[in-house]
Amino acid sequence: MALSPTPTITVYLPGPLRAYSGGATQLVIPARTVRAALAHLEQSQAALYRNICDETGAVRRHLNIFVNADNMRDLSGVDTPLAAGDEVTIVPAVSGG
Amino acid sequence: MADRVMLTIGTKKGVFVADAAKPRRSFALCGPFGPGVPVYSTLIDVRRTPRLYASSCNPFFGMKILRSTNMGKSFAETKSAPAFPKDDGRALVNIWSLETGNDKRELWCGVEPASLFRSRDGGDSWEMVPGISNHEHARKWQPGNGGLCMHTIIRDGNRVHLGISTGGHYLSEDGGQTFTAANQGVGAGFSPDPYPEFGQCVHKIARHDDAPGRLYMQNHGGWADWSGPGGPRPDIGVLRSDDYGRSWRSIAKGLPSDFGFPIVVHPHDADTVYVMPLEPATRTCPGGAPAVWRSENGGDSWTRLARGLPKKQTYFTVLRDAMDVDQLKTPALYFGTTTGQLWIGREGGERWECLFDSLPLIHNVKVAVV
Repeated sequence: MALSPTPTITVYLPGPLRAYSGGATQLVIPARTVRAALAHLEQSQAALYRNICDETGAVRRHLNIFVNADNMRDLSGVDTPLAAGDEVTIVPAVSGG
Repeated sequence: MADRVMLTIGTKKGVFVADAAKPRRSFALCGPFGPGVPVYSTLIDVRRTPRLYASSCNPFFGMKILRSTNMGKSFAETKSAPAFPKDDGRALVNIWSLETGNDKRELWCGVEPASLFRSRDGGDSWEMVPGISNHEHARKWQPGNGGLCMHTIIRDGNRVHLGISTGGHYLSEDGGQTFTAANQGVGAGFSPDPYPEFGQCVHKIARHDDAPGRLYMQNHGGWADWSGPGGPRPDIGVLRSDDYGRSWRSIAKGLPSDFGFPIVVHPHDADTVYVMPLEPATRTCPGGAPAVWRSENGGDSWTRLARGLPKKQTYFTVLRDAMDVDQLKTPALYFGTTTGQLWIGREGGERWECLFDSLPLIHNVKVAVV
């Protein structure tokens, strides 16, 4: 059976990361999962990726990634599947002082 | 000709730069650069046209190295920051120290979790130094209250001294290829063995170029009243070595507390050393009255320097890298506080004056004549 086409999704970036995306506020990329979206960024936007994931590939501790309205933590983490038109939003956690 | 005194001030909310003409009558302040992001280490590299460096330790987006090539008018990120190899399993948490290396473009960097990195191109690319980062002890070190940090890098030709909290003092005599724990006489209050081979909570190490075998250490003191296994450990907080750090002895007698964080050596006299004693329980100024203490005989006796400092109701902390001394003929000391004050101790600390009183929490103060 032929694999369905890779869905196209939109990644929304917070203000501090736009210096690493050439000023883009959003990126439209193909990805079947959050993990695949991050892997795509690692290849295509290496500087941006380093701000989102550490050397081990883990999403930085104080960042949250939402798939549409849900935190990926409450779904399947980086293995959360993505569908065409999904919105993946990267948000710094509300913390610090 | 060097004619200005330049300060870099690493704070919880970015790095500031202050400079003054040589008499140091008044300092002009610029910044913050890397605003809103903690800066734990700075470096004023005067080996050629001065360059300023700052570690920008963003808890959200990771570690960056900032560099200024225009005397602190602006900073930009270097092309990359230290990072562990992908298969290492560790991830950078903080950058705690930046020091110059052998040639004019070489930099060294100590990080958390305690590891050492080296750049050969002024900070644009970095490689991990495996001799200490993958040392057989490395996975046994434990974090102190500030994290598992490599905070001191001292080079002397092929000799390299490292200070790790909590790991202790490590010595290389082959340019950083291999390292040995060198902690004989360095006490630990928080382990049953009062004098372990490694694992001490070293707070800072300092030395003078004219006396390379002599080192001074501010260790984690405050254990005189310990009544658990191993018994009390008085005076383990302020130490001296005369054999390149292989063995250490206490020089804490005469101080109001052997707890503290920074330790600084006079630029023209290897016998003159400064500490900032703190109460071990609160880590604040003893009796609410801050003072720098100076020894002019290598630690045999100490003098309190507090003229101009508050006499009461003052409870700040001075962190491990928040005190430095300039290199002028009659040097001035500088310290920054956790309450955001930057103090200058004119005439070698005889006369104190607050330069800036409302900065963010200060992690780091470095000074150079440029």
